[in-house]
Amino acid sequence: MDPTTVMYVSQGLQGLAYGMILFLIASGLNIIFGMMGILNMAHAAFFMLGAYICYQIVAMTGSFWLGFLFAPIVTAALGVLMQQLFLRKAHVLGHFGELILTMGIASVIVAAIKKFWGTQNLPLSMPDSLNGMVSIVGISYPAYRLFVIGLALVVLVLMMLLLYRTRLGKIVRAAVSDREMVNALGININLVFMLVFGGGIWLAGLAGVAIAPILTVFPGLADQVGMDAFIVVVTGGFGSLVGAFIVSIIFGLLSSYGVQFLSNFAPVLMVCFMAIVLVIRPNGLFGVKE
Amino acid sequence: MNMINKKANIVLWLMLIVFLAFFPKLFGIYYTNMVVTFAIFSVFATSLNMLMGYTGLLSFGHAMFFGFGGYGTALALKHIEGLGIFPAIGFGMLAAVVLALVLTPIMVRVTGTAFAMLNMAFAQLMYVLALKLYTITGGEDGIANFPIPGIFTESLRNSSDHFYYLAMIILGLCMWLMWFFTKTPFGQIQVGIRDNAKRVDYLGYKVPQSKAVVYILSAAFAGIAGSFYGLFHNMVSADGSLGMGMSFMPIIMIMIGGIGSFLGPMTGVAIFQLIDEFILRYTESSELVMGATLILVVVFMPMGFMGLFSMLKSKWKARFTGNAKMEKAS
Repeated sequence: MDPTTVMYVSQGLQGLAYGMILFLIASGLNIIFGMMGILNMAHAAFFMLGAYICYQIVAMTGSFWLGFLFAPIVTAALGVLMQQLFLRKAHVLGHFGELILTMGIASVIVAAIKKFWGTQNLPLSMPDSLNGMVSIVGISYPAYRLFVIGLALVVLVLMMLLLYRTRLGKIVRAAVSDREMVNALGININLVFMLVFGGGIWLAGLAGVAIAPILTVFPGLADQVGMDAFIVVVTGGFGSLVGAFIVSIIFGLLSSYGVQFLSNFAPVLMVCFMAIVLVIRPNGLFGVKE
Repeated sequence: MNMINKKANIVLWLMLIVFLAFFPKLFGIYYTNMVVTFAIFSVFATSLNMLMGYTGLLSFGHAMFFGFGGYGTALALKHIEGLGIFPAIGFGMLAAVVLALVLTPIMVRVTGTAFAMLNMAFAQLMYVLALKLYTITGGEDGIANFPIPGIFTESLRNSSDHFYYLAMIILGLCMWLMWFFTKTPFGQIQVGIRDNAKRVDYLGYKVPQSKAVVYILSAAFAGIAGSFYGLFHNMVSADGSLGMGMSFMPIIMIMIGGIGSFLGPMTGVAIFQLIDEFILRYTESSELVMGATLILVVVFMPMGFMGLFSMLKSKWKARFTGNAKMEKAS
């Protein structure tokens, strides 16, 4: 293969890996946003918190896989705590209240992170088993990024199965369309939403853990990826996992090829794409018209 | 009773005006500048509240009008010799209005999150354009040291006292106009659109057109605020007046002060400034203080400080009238 093609393909793979990380964050945001109607501005902060907790676990035990396993769970527990303590009260006020509350929580989390871990970049080494290069049709590619792509695919499949093939998924979807009726049928709606919220934050934590070895851990992590994930959800359509997945891939590719061809306007390619989509379909690409 | 109230009102207003007139002499330059900043953000936040509180449209990109106001004024002053201060502010307002006019055909079609995010998208686009078109906008440096015209007379230039008086005039005028607007029948239709757009439509009012008018008016006032902000600092820059933070700041101010009440945003700006002052003096962790404030406001004062105020007022009134009734009974 000639070198330019190799460059384009590896650029594309790079974008794909970024897109997959976006999808991991966006899918969590999407189930919270799409199913509970909560504009969770703290999502990116939890994502960052996941990365930091993983860093801490790795620093203490030396095992990446322990961090990989437990950091998202700890993050999810903190998220559920926040939901039970504050968010339930704000839900009465509608979107504005939730928006401001989660913004407040996001900035408290950032403050806590700066207090405990400082503001410097903390490196997190990837596990030895994934630290090599893999060669696919003549192009060598970091194994860790392939792992991230695989992880996102697994998450997509598992979530689709969970939502559309299990009783729990049915209850969740029913609760979204008419929570009072589901409540009247004797299902503990608070518990269902707690699970959904916990699941969403778990995904944010997982994304944080996945990105930590690629980007190092620093307090600006949330700003960098958070807005992108939000844009993915809005563009893909609320509550649509497939939409989030496709848009994540498009954005990943846009960001990697955009830097190459339109470097001046790379930062706004995503928002331009979103603007075009929203003008044509205000509910997002795969959104259902209310 | 009514006459007395009216007279008391007039006396209170007069006292306020006298107090404000002597404020710079009494409190010195630091607090005077703080009040100027207060005036700028009051107009900015109230203009967003026209959209958010009265029409129910949340915007994540209101900074673009603020920024356009600033750039409009700065560019006008830089390129037109001998431009007066009011025409300069007019140019800023015009820039914001033109931007709003261009965007309205898109904006009136969407509501909810799509509206918020579309505004954010265009604000981001303007931000990047301001950075990249450096032959016009000065890129990352922005436009600084453009000539400031004399404020009331040609000799009174760059004096902070006179900025203060101009700020008070602009604040008073803008707030009066916006208040007036909410009281007109047209302003009432806006509340109707927020609460039930379909019904307003059935009643024969044109929903998209009314939305467009509010959007443009809101942009105009944000433009005035941004224009004055640029004049006050003698500088406009993409990060200073077009950034994402500038879009979220007025939302936070409105929420702290109280959404939907006319004086809410102003109260919010004042509280926001007090918090800023507190952070500046006593702590390094601005995020913690800001975050904790937001959480406390949402959990304990859902309608903001104005909501708390009106709740306390009605409680006090209830107690007062309750006592009066008891007295009558005995």
